[in-house]
Amino acid sequence: MWDGIFTGLSTAVMPFNLLMVVVGCFAGTFIGMLPGLGPISAVALMIPITYGLDPSSGIILMAGVYYGAVFGGSTSSILINAPGCASTVVTSFDGYPLAQQKQAGKALALAAYSSFTGGTIGAIILLFAAPALASVSLSFQSSDYFGLMILGLTAVAAFSGKGQVLKALIMTVFGLMIATVGTDLSSGTPRFTFGNIDLIDGISFLLLAMATFALTEVVMTVLKGQHKEEEEEMDMNSLGSMKLSRDEVKHVAPTIGRSSVFGFLVGVLPGAGATIASFMAYGLERNLASAKEKLKFGKGALRGLAAPESANNAASTGSFVPLLTLGIPGSGTTAIMLGALIAYGIQPGPRLFIDNPDVFWSVIISMYFGNLVLLILNLPLIPYISRLLVIPRPILIPLILFFSITGVYLVSFNTFDIHMMAIITVIAIFLKLLEFPMAPMLLGFILGGIMETNLSRALVISDGSLAFLWERPLTLSIVTVAVLVLCAPPLLELRNKHRAAKGEATDRGPEAAINEGEG
Amino acid sequence: MNICKDHIGGMTFLLLSVAYGYYAGQIPLLPGDEYEPFTAQTVPNALAMLGGILSIALLVTADRGEGSGLKLRGYDFSLVAKLLALVVFFALALEWIGFLLATIVFLIGGYWLLGERRVKTLLVASVPFAVGIWAILTQLLDIYLAPGALFNQIFGG
Repeated sequence: MWDGIFTGLSTAVMPFNLLMVVVGCFAGTFIGMLPGLGPISAVALMIPITYGLDPSSGIILMAGVYYGAVFGGSTSSILINAPGCASTVVTSFDGYPLAQQKQAGKALALAAYSSFTGGTIGAIILLFAAPALASVSLSFQSSDYFGLMILGLTAVAAFSGKGQVLKALIMTVFGLMIATVGTDLSSGTPRFTFGNIDLIDGISFLLLAMATFALTEVVMTVLKGQHKEEEEEMDMNSLGSMKLSRDEVKHVAPTIGRSSVFGFLVGVLPGAGATIASFMAYGLERNLASAKEKLKFGKGALRGLAAPESANNAASTGSFVPLLTLGIPGSGTTAIMLGALIAYGIQPGPRLFIDNPDVFWSVIISMYFGNLVLLILNLPLIPYISRLLVIPRPILIPLILFFSITGVYLVSFNTFDIHMMAIITVIAIFLKLLEFPMAPMLLGFILGGIMETNLSRALVISDGSLAFLWERPLTLSIVTVAVLVLCAPPLLELRNKHRAAKGEATDRGPEAAINEGEG
Repeated sequence: MNICKDHIGGMTFLLLSVAYGYYAGQIPLLPGDEYEPFTAQTVPNALAMLGGILSIALLVTADRGEGSGLKLRGYDFSLVAKLLALVVFFALALEWIGFLLATIVFLIGGYWLLGERRVKTLLVASVPFAVGIWAILTQLLDIYLAPGALFNQIFGG
């Protein structure tokens, strides 16, 4: 393991890779601050750039953008009460009241320290958890993989919030359907191409990710008329002090520790991700607080700000565990990274640890660097970075549109792709208006190909019988967990309805508030 | 009965699943595939079934409460349509007038559609940017960008 760590360290400290971390964090912070654009869009916008880099640098850049975007999201949550993404919605609960009390500087600093600690604790656990899990997963067979993919896909649906489970499942199936377009890899027959040569290779992952996340998100802001809104003036001179007193540090330290470990564990679960981690950590902290302190939550409680901030960063780190060890992304953002890794010809999974130790370890180590950069460079520069937000929307929106379109065009040099993007954007807007979540579709699309390969292998080995699902104890347990994960939310909902009918008060906690699990 | 968002969504996906299932049956099979446990049709058939079941489930359990109807008021569809038309136009322009000019036209068009009318801003925010990107791509990264077909026809390719 230590060999690997040193390889990773030497890759991560290469000047170019360090530069990538810094650039990634800055770009991510900027994009994350723009309301409506979250980590998924930020990472999607980076894909075309990373195609020209070598795999470790590319992934390091993306990881930097990921943290940067989460951090940028918290900044706009605190300063202007406009969360850049779902995972920083909770940050605004207590962060914005603090900013209103002229303590924006303190809130930003606390957010940065909590994120840093969350990220650091997450990175340390990852350092030990990932290789352990990777060595266990070496014994996995195709039937186990098939089971894991089912688990990953159902988990995303199950965690997608109240009343959204069915819709998320439908979107997952839709993603799997899109993945079948193109030439079938095992038999070589074209499927669903309708004689169109441009579809023979299937729909590219980059195109789908850019169209559904970058392009659609921007167009949605236009649709809602948000581009006309004037950006709320931020008075950078009244940020207040960025220092925390010793008492305040003592007050929040246990919260940060608890929420970091908790956030990491939630992040490891496939499909849960940063959004759910931040909501749950906030709920946990409120439940643990004394009755007197509970009243402060929502009015600028330091603990209420520290908990979600450390949890969402730890969860972002945690979501790399299933990605790097099993090849199953835990969230929409890691799904995009999985796609990028596959495009490099690197198959994340247990073999990654053995075949590409430099990629594996440099990602983990650069995550830590990313946290350092955010703390040392980004925090003091926040007043300046947020000035960039002053660029008027009518100028900014066409530029983002241009970057997302040319990002796809410059990889394929095929104008058909641009038409395709426009069509997919129209479909995505229609689905968004009907409140269908987009992340499960992308996840289904990315996992679709691998899932089909593993299913075909498992079926051929077991001679066409579905018995492989229950013959191996490991497969059986994974499938059982998947079924449980899928059945639990509707059953809980039924029970709650039953209780409500009996007149009992039901408190589902803050999780019920999550309707968008796209973290 | 009120038609709500879930009904529209469920119906859309039901139709999609039926169409998908129909075309899944049209996928050509290789000789001898009928004896194979896994063919190019296996997964599409399963997905069509699954999609059908899930969309029927959504139709049955549709949320009919208040606020579940599709509200389209307050959305600026015409502007979005114009922007997407501009995107399609950009794709056509790329083929005919080349990357540099197409970019300038696209950006000016985008700024204009979103309400920017000052000629100076329109030009300053588009021309230097487009030239800069073009220079980075062609000069720095050595990426070949085909000149538009129009220039090829006028000056000879």
